[in-house]
Amino acid sequence: MALLQTENLSFRYPGAEKAALQGVSLSIEAGSFTVVCGPSGCGKTTLLRLFKPELAPAGEQTGRILFAGEPAASARPGAIGFVQQNPDSQIVTDKVWHELAFGLENLGLPVETIRRRVGETASFFGIQGWFRQKTDELSGGQKQLLNLAAVLMMQPRLLILDEPTSQLDPIAAADFIAALQKINRELGLTVLLAEHRLEEVFPIADRVAVLQEGRLLLHEPPRAVAPKLLSISPDHPMLHALPSAVRVWRHLAAGGACPLTVREGRRFLEERYAGVALPPPPVEAPPAGACALDVKNVWFRYEKESPDVLRGLSLRVTRGEMLCLLGGNGAGKTTALQIMAGLDRPVRGKVLLHGRELKTYRGGALYRHNLALLPQNPQTVFVKDTLRADLNEMLAAMETPPAERAGRMEQMAKELGIAHLLAAHPYDLSGGEQQKAALAKVLLSDPTVLLLDEPTKGIDAFAKRGLSELLRALTRRGMTVVAVTHDVEFAAEAADRCAFLFDGEILSVEPPRNFFAENNFYTTAANRMARGLWKTAVTCEQVAACCRAAEERL
Amino acid sequence: MKAFAGLHPAVTMTYFVLLLTVCMFLPHPVLQGQALVCGALTCALLCRRGAARDVGFYLPLFLLVAVTNPLFSHNGVTPLFFLNGNPVTLEALLYGLSLAAMVVGVLLWCKAYNEVMTSDKFLYLFGAVTPKLSLVLSMALRFLPAYRRQARRVSRAQKAMGLYAGSSMVCRVKNRLRVLAAMVTWSLENAMETAASMKARGYGSGKRRTHFSLFRFRPADGAFFAALLLLAAAPLAAAAAGALNFTYYPRLSQLQTTPAAWVAYAAYGLFLLLPAMWEAKEALVWRCCKRKI
Repeated sequence: MALLQTENLSFRYPGAEKAALQGVSLSIEAGSFTVVCGPSGCGKTTLLRLFKPELAPAGEQTGRILFAGEPAASARPGAIGFVQQNPDSQIVTDKVWHELAFGLENLGLPVETIRRRVGETASFFGIQGWFRQKTDELSGGQKQLLNLAAVLMMQPRLLILDEPTSQLDPIAAADFIAALQKINRELGLTVLLAEHRLEEVFPIADRVAVLQEGRLLLHEPPRAVAPKLLSISPDHPMLHALPSAVRVWRHLAAGGACPLTVREGRRFLEERYAGVALPPPPVEAPPAGACALDVKNVWFRYEKESPDVLRGLSLRVTRGEMLCLLGGNGAGKTTALQIMAGLDRPVRGKVLLHGRELKTYRGGALYRHNLALLPQNPQTVFVKDTLRADLNEMLAAMETPPAERAGRMEQMAKELGIAHLLAAHPYDLSGGEQQKAALAKVLLSDPTVLLLDEPTKGIDAFAKRGLSELLRALTRRGMTVVAVTHDVEFAAEAADRCAFLFDGEILSVEPPRNFFAENNFYTTAANRMARGLWKTAVTCEQVAACCRAAEERL
Repeated sequence: MKAFAGLHPAVTMTYFVLLLTVCMFLPHPVLQGQALVCGALTCALLCRRGAARDVGFYLPLFLLVAVTNPLFSHNGVTPLFFLNGNPVTLEALLYGLSLAAMVVGVLLWCKAYNEVMTSDKFLYLFGAVTPKLSLVLSMALRFLPAYRRQARRVSRAQKAMGLYAGSSMVCRVKNRLRVLAAMVTWSLENAMETAASMKARGYGSGKRRTHFSLFRFRPADGAFFAALLLLAAAPLAAAAAGALNFTYYPRLSQLQTTPAAWVAYAAYGLFLLLPAMWEAKEALVWRCCKRKI
């Protein structure tokens, strides 16, 4: 039976020329796990919010939304649970237990009932360990799990989540998805999830809905998605966002059942190409050239008594290379970047930029045409009401003559593809647009070394590819880029070299193919599928190329 | 001090309110002395680590207040010596000591209050009176640290872009203002999402909100409550009956030694020791339990 049904749903924001949604007819079965995906701005968020009457945006709506056969607006409060993207801003109160109780307090339930349900929910989600803590002290993953638990306290029949893992690191994201799967499997709760990181959710979904420019492109079981997309257009942009196994499969145009997981992808490759040896790929030479940034035996801790975060970190970054600094949570990646940016001073050791120690750059000289840092949250970069004002401010600070400013800004905006956004408020942009805008502002200082903190956080596959190409273009022009990231797929595609940071020191620095070939766990999904056959195939394209070479030898 | 802090907030709150009332409105040397000594003891038990550092703050404060009064007040009939032609009197000196005991005593008990009455307890009590305001306070407590952290992030991000360049006063004030402007936008943006999250969980659905808390009123709380009421009643009743009158000027009055006064002293002493005794009782129970295991 369909729990949620839309009939020919269209929606237009007030004052907008184009409709945000056009004729969407969708039917969600009770107990199913549905993933909604599509490029940024395709109308995912609008669609999901329309399902939740309390959050429905204002605008012109036609068509019907039925929840359990009735108009959705008449559902009891809490019957539809909604989890948003940002883990922080959804939390209302200061204590974990209070946050859990908040929804039931609103419904006016007796204290004893609340006590019981709070206890039950906390044990189901394994919250009891941090039950009495302040919400402010939790990690991002814990916060998002708390948001989920707090919504489930209301005993919803339908759970809607709008990109809930986009702000989490991969491990916390996988835990969160596992919790969702548990709820769906064990409680039979209907889950409707919008997501752009599809690697984990795609295989566990019952149905995948793809939206494109406000229209429902398809609504199919996951295995049928790639073939359908291929039949619509052989180079459909959505194909790049699918899990690695699917991407490898479609590169081969092999037909047959489409593999979804690493395990299936591995079997798929081994059945076809077992025993086909390929000549090893040409060895990637480490980039040669002068040293742009030299980190020498740096030790750092935040408080006098606290443990060391960095323990003798040494790293030489060559001019014109793109280096990705990888590592788990708490390995000291962000700290290392802050030290390279001169925001924190090392306790011992030193950092040299173009052969000069950082602390000898005085009076802001360090940040003028030398070094720039793009922080993790691009919002922290903007302080003005429009993007144009923000960029102008940067140009003024860099003492660009007023006559040249407009031209310089236009050129930068065109290069990054944000020319149409200059009049917008920076907070109104989407995640990917915000990232580009922040990058534009940072690049206006004309740095020789660019430091990036988690540049792929919260942006979708298309924006990620764009970013990757942009960084390539920058390094080709001689800029040096150091990016701290969790995202192994991004590092494999974009980096000239990858460095692995663990427990405050660098354990290995190598070009990506060698780097990931030597790792067993910490590597890309494509590499995990193919490493039994071809160890140095790291990206989906490389695996596909290996497959094609193997076909010729068969 | 786990046991005392674990009591029901209403009990601990009543205790501190009564105690501070007596401290501030019954200026009697015996009571003040008791409050000072027991306050120091309770504070030492509550925060063992910082105790040594606190002596360095409270002792000079005590001396300062005690010495200031006789230097400026020349009331009293028993001059001890003359300073710049002004008499320093015994009465003024003793009044200074009494004042110092009261100030430091109240401060010490306020410190104990701070240690025991955490924000959630205060909110709980407050919530019983006005649930709306209590929710607002809880949200504020959640918001402030988040705000501080974001402000720090913004100012560091600005610095790393070279926008915090100048180090002059004007530059710094200007930069503060820039960050503040960004923070206003951030707060509003955040508030929208928080509001959405609240609405999504039934806030403002028209039902009367319940006020949930983790605190329970247990028999032990009842016992402590009864004890504290009984013990506090004695000095208050004695004071009301005029059995605890004491004046410093122009000459010291006699300290009362009537049975009523003795009862009041003893009861107040016990009252002040309640937290320490409660702790000792718990420690004893714990030790017995352990031995049985």
